[in-house]
Amino acid sequence: MRSIWIIFKRELAAYFTSPIAYFVAFAVLLLCGIVFSNDLAARNGSQATDGAVVLVYLSQMSIFFIPLITMRLFAEENREGTMELLMTLPVKDNAIVFGKFLGAWAYYTVLLLLTLVFQALLIWLSPPDLGTVIASYLGLWLFGGAAIAVGMLFSALNENQIVAAFLGLAALLLLWQADVVGTVLSNRGLAEFIRGFSFQSNYIYSFALGLVRLDHVVFFVGVIASMNFITVQIVESRRWR
Amino acid sequence: MIEVDNLHKRYGPFSALKGISFRAEKGEILGFLGPNGAGKTTTMRILSGYMPPTSGSAKVAGFDVFEESFEVRQQVGYLPETVPLYPDMTVKGYIRYIADLRGVAQAGSRVDEVLHLVGMYERRESLIRSISKGMRQRTGIAGALVHDPPVLILDEPTIGLDPRQTLEVREMVRTLGKERTVMFSTHILSEAEQVCDRVIIIDRGQIVAEGAPQALRDQLQKGGRLFVRIGGSFTPETVRKTLSGVGGVSSVTIQPEGITVEARGSQDIRARLSAAVVGAGWELLELRPLAMSLEDIFMEITAQQEKPERKN
Repeated sequence: MRSIWIIFKRELAAYFTSPIAYFVAFAVLLLCGIVFSNDLAARNGSQATDGAVVLVYLSQMSIFFIPLITMRLFAEENREGTMELLMTLPVKDNAIVFGKFLGAWAYYTVLLLLTLVFQALLIWLSPPDLGTVIASYLGLWLFGGAAIAVGMLFSALNENQIVAAFLGLAALLLLWQADVVGTVLSNRGLAEFIRGFSFQSNYIYSFALGLVRLDHVVFFVGVIASMNFITVQIVESRRWR
Repeated sequence: MIEVDNLHKRYGPFSALKGISFRAEKGEILGFLGPNGAGKTTTMRILSGYMPPTSGSAKVAGFDVFEESFEVRQQVGYLPETVPLYPDMTVKGYIRYIADLRGVAQAGSRVDEVLHLVGMYERRESLIRSISKGMRQRTGIAGALVHDPPVLILDEPTIGLDPRQTLEVREMVRTLGKERTVMFSTHILSEAEQVCDRVIIIDRGQIVAEGAPQALRDQLQKGGRLFVRIGGSFTPETVRKTLSGVGGVSSVTIQPEGITVEARGSQDIRARLSAAVVGAGWELLELRPLAMSLEDIFMEITAQQEKPERKN
């Protein structure tokens, strides 16, 4: 527990000493701001505001920027040789993985908190349905955690950050659009099964509509848990190679 | 403190360690000498708890490296060959991070103490990416020392340093070795000689020689090449004739600064050579073995090793 906390602090601090974290935050807020203002203009005061619009857009953006924030988690340590240090300290392998995961998730949480500025503007202009906003945030937070866990797994497999980011992006795109895969399959049972893994349908057609369903919560938490578990196995396998 | 018994390590079909056994006592500086790929790093990684051996046993301070990995990691300070540093951290932040992960008591004052010890206290607030290679090495050593381990394992700590930094690190290793067991790998023979109490030479996963550096050198270079300087009246021709006549001499090279005599095989010709010089009425001013480089010693040892293998 103590080592998880120490590694978590170091990882979170590392984000704020690297330019990429600021760049990602800047780009995300800028793009969300554009979507937000376009949406407001389109509604033109005649339609009720919807706080989830920015968040649905942010969920799609997450697929692209999360690999950028997870790529360094293990790839950098593998390349700098610091993995050898961590693995010869009296620290459990799962504490290393979980500490890093939580560090990246905390950075993502900070990003999410920054988008509250849009909600504050909405509340000031024309209050949206707060239940939907809260459900959307909860869903997006879990969504981000799951995507970070997937990205981290590919970082653990690589020494090269670019390769890690690219593989993470490819995997996340597939997971995100898994429901689309269903439309090209004739076997309905299989299609439904694959569709169940879709990040998109587990978020946009549920949390973002204001629904908090147990199965969708379990889905994201399950992805987080299983990806962390596999990453621990990858890290441990270094000892056997 | 370190007990290694018949240690094997295989990486897939490649056998990196083929059954090595050795001991290191408390307060001993053990040099681990060998060419690249000999198995030095593999042995050190096993002893530091980084990876388990394929077979055989290794114990540090009585704890098994595989069964009691955490206890071993508490006993060992390990500095890998590529110093594991975070470029984005300060020197002090880095040492503090390791101290915290190790659960060092009174981490703050202990961190300052090791920073003083390695001479990095003045640069404690510098970012690691901005310090020199020698300072990185010292920072790495500080990281390995922060929990005051009884066993210190340093993998080629002087590689890539300039001569002055090399001397500093050697000096530091010698100081540290006074109250600790230090295992120290290098491929520079003279370094092992200066620093270590005992040397183990390893080649292709096997121990090929072991002993105190001086004994090892004597054992390996009896005979070999000798440098001779003589005084008195002589001509190059008479010298060549006299020295070539000594039993066991294979060649004599006369240069302005002295004479190089090469012995046949590994015979010790020093006694006969000096008798011949004195017998001819000259003065023997200098007679010393020409320092054998590590390469020469390896050629010799590995040649001895290969012969029986070829017969099989």
